[in-house]
Amino acid sequence: MALLEVKSLEVSFGLRSGAVKALRNISFTLERGERLGLVGESGAGKSVLGFSILNLISKPGRISGGEIWFDGKNLADLSAKELRDVRGNRISMIFQDPMMTLNPVLTIGQQMIECLKAHRKISNDAARTIAIQKLKQVYIPSPETRIDQYPHELSGGMRQRIVIAIGLLMDPDIIIADEPTTALDVTIQAEIMELMVELCDRNNVALILITHDLGVVSQVTQKAIVMYAGRIIEQGPTKEIINDAQHPYTQGLMNALPQMAIPGQRLNQIRGAMPPLQNIPTGCAFNPRCDYVMDECTKQLPGYTVSGNCQVACHMVANLKKAEQTSDEV
Amino acid sequence: MTTQNTTSDLPEKAPSAWQRFKDTHVWHSFVKDRVAQLSFTIFMGYVLMALFAPAIAPFDPYDPTQIDIMNSELPPSWNEDEGDPQFWLGTDAQGRDLWSTILYGTRISLTIGICAVLLQATIGIIIGLIAGYRGGRVDSILMRFADVQLSFSTMMVAIVVLAVFQASFGTELYQELAMIMLVLVIGIAEWPQYARTIRASVLAEKKKEYVDAARVMGLGQVRIMFRHILPNTLSPILVISTVQVANAIISEASLSFLGLGMPVSQPSLGSLISSGFEYIFSGAWWITVIPGVVLVVLVLVMNLLGDWLRDVLNPKLYKG
Repeated sequence: MALLEVKSLEVSFGLRSGAVKALRNISFTLERGERLGLVGESGAGKSVLGFSILNLISKPGRISGGEIWFDGKNLADLSAKELRDVRGNRISMIFQDPMMTLNPVLTIGQQMIECLKAHRKISNDAARTIAIQKLKQVYIPSPETRIDQYPHELSGGMRQRIVIAIGLLMDPDIIIADEPTTALDVTIQAEIMELMVELCDRNNVALILITHDLGVVSQVTQKAIVMYAGRIIEQGPTKEIINDAQHPYTQGLMNALPQMAIPGQRLNQIRGAMPPLQNIPTGCAFNPRCDYVMDECTKQLPGYTVSGNCQVACHMVANLKKAEQTSDEV
Repeated sequence: MTTQNTTSDLPEKAPSAWQRFKDTHVWHSFVKDRVAQLSFTIFMGYVLMALFAPAIAPFDPYDPTQIDIMNSELPPSWNEDEGDPQFWLGTDAQGRDLWSTILYGTRISLTIGICAVLLQATIGIIIGLIAGYRGGRVDSILMRFADVQLSFSTMMVAIVVLAVFQASFGTELYQELAMIMLVLVIGIAEWPQYARTIRASVLAEKKKEYVDAARVMGLGQVRIMFRHILPNTLSPILVISTVQVANAIISEASLSFLGLGMPVSQPSLGSLISSGFEYIFSGAWWITVIPGVVLVVLVLVMNLLGDWLRDVLNPKLYKG
């Protein structure tokens, strides 16, 4: 059985103007030790998905449908107390900006010990030993000194290492990393990504990596999910998605990479912007921006078509598949 | 790895608390600010006076055997005709040495001020934290409660409560419990100040990512409120505390002046001013004026310190 199984998850935000669906019909699975990339532009619902796995969407949002199966329990149904046992303990989360994630008035050690004591009956000394050991794992030099320092005394890369150490503190099964390298400079980004991959491999931890960066996804993950306007539009093995994107949106994302542009020419971009969630066009949400738009696309929401090992939500791909099948039969 | 291996960019040893403090913004601005230095010195003077009153005071104003009614209304000793060098600030209507009485009075005023503020702060912080963090209906109910409390002026609440208490339990019991009653009344009447300030900073703090991170770590609400959010709201608490102590001292003085505060046998600065007021037209100005000046300077100094702290800790002027 998969470690985590999300089944037709829906999340909606109750606004004054009515409920807005931030996530629709999200289904995917995650195996133990597997690394999953979650890609999409800003506002596609990547972070909301990350939070909803922990059932931690802030008001006025709520999980309005679907199931999140983890370890034989449906996280969407658990009580607050049972959820606290899962959060931080079995599934932990790493955020974008390490300066903001660490409490500025508590020392690194206080924050780590706090977390340990919230989940285990453990003495201060034992907690401190574990904390130092975890700091060593993320290659913090002289952890015995660092543990008594405040977050502002450390550099950005160092802080993100500490955030990762806190994420690993309870030996979780899953780490959700929400753009963990966006706030760091490029050289540090690579270091941090390498570190995360190494730690996940060593501890057999599954990783859900939320990012804009297709480059990182292709290097780090085994599976990828592309999201658009709150829906999964393509998912499958990372290699297939990167090398042979089916959905026009994924193709657009790939073409938008600077490496894909001809030197001296403007970069390729997907025209237009993502529609606001209150106002998603009928049919395929991507239709106003799609180069291959057909009649069908503006009328009917595309279902998922299996193409190779990928699932794609696109009428065009579906039609092509159908044509292939009929030609095979003939 | 031992500390010997630390690289040169790390300090050899963790600096002591005093060294750390000397590097802070607070210390630097204190060194530069004359008004703050002066206020702080005077305030510390008051605190020392209050703490060591029994040691400094030449007489014990609470001991009737040391009081001689024949010494009443003696002017300060610099008035050579009538003054007695024993009593350098003169004596009050009962023949008590004014200097000793002021020392003891400062002690009482400061104690009441600080205890009342501690009570205010405890109630206000708990209510403000819960209102700010929980939000929604809890917030509305608690804050409306605070509004109701604020719509009664402190003086009105205090006068009604103290007068009713005095009337129903008799003056003697009241005199015994006067200090506790004053602390309770002033403390309870002013908690909304704290609750509002804390709530406002909690609203700002709870949107920050470290709160999300704490929730993601699976920490409980109480732990997040008191361990993570509260320390981040300490600077506004510190600022209003200085001002609130000054306010509490003034409230106490006003109540004592109205005869609802400390009894004459155990005078605070306010009751001292009040007791001298009857004699001001008979020429014994010192009984009222000297404690009055002491009170005004104390309150002024605390307000100046509060202003300075507010400027130093204001995150808009300085981001630390």
